[in-house]
Amino acid sequence: MLGNLLATAVEYTVQALELFLVVYLLYRGLWKRHAGVLVYLLSLLAVDEVVRRYFFHRYGLNSLAYAYSYWLTDVLLALEAFGLICIFFRRACVPQLWRVLRLSLIVVFILVAAISYLSLSHHKDNLLHSFIYEFEQNLFFTCVLLNTLLYIMLHQMGSADEQLALLVCGMGIQFAGPTAGLALVHLTVGGQLAYLLLHHLAPLCTLGMLLIWTYAVRRFTTVQEPTYRASGHRGTVPALAGAGLHGD
Amino acid sequence: MLHMFRLDMIMAILSVILGPALLMFYFLDTCKRILRREFGHEFFHSVVNANRLEFPFVRKALEEFNAPVDYERFRMQLKCDFLALTYLLKNAGNAKGRLSKEERFLTWYFNAVVLKLIITHWLRLSERAAVLRLTSILEYFANVLGERVDTIRFGDMTASDYLMSL
Repeated sequence: MLGNLLATAVEYTVQALELFLVVYLLYRGLWKRHAGVLVYLLSLLAVDEVVRRYFFHRYGLNSLAYAYSYWLTDVLLALEAFGLICIFFRRACVPQLWRVLRLSLIVVFILVAAISYLSLSHHKDNLLHSFIYEFEQNLFFTCVLLNTLLYIMLHQMGSADEQLALLVCGMGIQFAGPTAGLALVHLTVGGQLAYLLLHHLAPLCTLGMLLIWTYAVRRFTTVQEPTYRASGHRGTVPALAGAGLHGD
Repeated sequence: MLHMFRLDMIMAILSVILGPALLMFYFLDTCKRILRREFGHEFFHSVVNANRLEFPFVRKALEEFNAPVDYERFRMQLKCDFLALTYLLKNAGNAKGRLSKEERFLTWYFNAVVLKLIITHWLRLSERAAVLRLTSILEYFANVLGERVDTIRFGDMTASDYLMSL
């Protein structure tokens, strides 16, 4: 009873945070800088609020249609997250390095998408057995690995982009928890405890990611803004700094 | 088939081991990045003096004098500072009367590091790093509080004037 209540509270908090972040990015005009994040958040909202809700109300929780819609949208979201990590790579890299990495990332993304499509279509008759857990575990594990590679790269480059580092940390939390949960379900051949763990861990990890993203977006927006305001308009050197430059 | 089975099991075992480890790693790194926030200047001194907090002395003892960790004493001192600071963060110049999201996040982190401190003490490992981490969390809290107090212009306001202005 209490577990269900907590799960519902987490679910509603996740949805409220998703909505808040979308509105915040649009309202503050940050959608261009965070276009990838915005698209991912809109997809999360659309999947939770439209697609899954429709199948849930139309066919019921225990229906095959709902199960298919749930897992297929989950795969789509994972692929989108994979694309978002590639966008983070673009933001982290200097142009020369990006030219080298771009092709590899595109090839890896196409490979992952193609393997996902082929595996799903090959197992479409027994999709809801252990296959989907194993498949998602591998997909999530690939995302975690790519994300960790990006994190290591940021660390090695001594990147000063703290916002990006926090966005990457959020993404890591989003995938690391469910990867372990899915693998545990796979290893215990659908053990009840593993299911329960996965059921509670996945929304908590999404909540963690959204909290970190909210912090990252708000903190670095509020820090930058006073400079613009003080200087009158964007791109102008602040008065004191300007005076210092022409002081002697 | 056997080969595929093994590969599949290896991937699952790797995921079970690496997943929680990476989850913990990203969580701790996020906390460290929040703590790394730069303040205009060191606001924490005034808060420490006004409230007789002890964490700067704990840190000084460990960093400058290389003193051994007095587990019971340090833990009590840091816990008391934590309670005082979280109370002040909730109630001093705070119209909402509750911690912000990042402050709440850091209180969880503080409790996680206290747990680590207890475990390292039981296992008779070095507690130094955990104690220093706790002092840096408390310094952050004191800085946030000092910065907040610094931005409020009390002037010749009375207590009721201030509360009405919130």
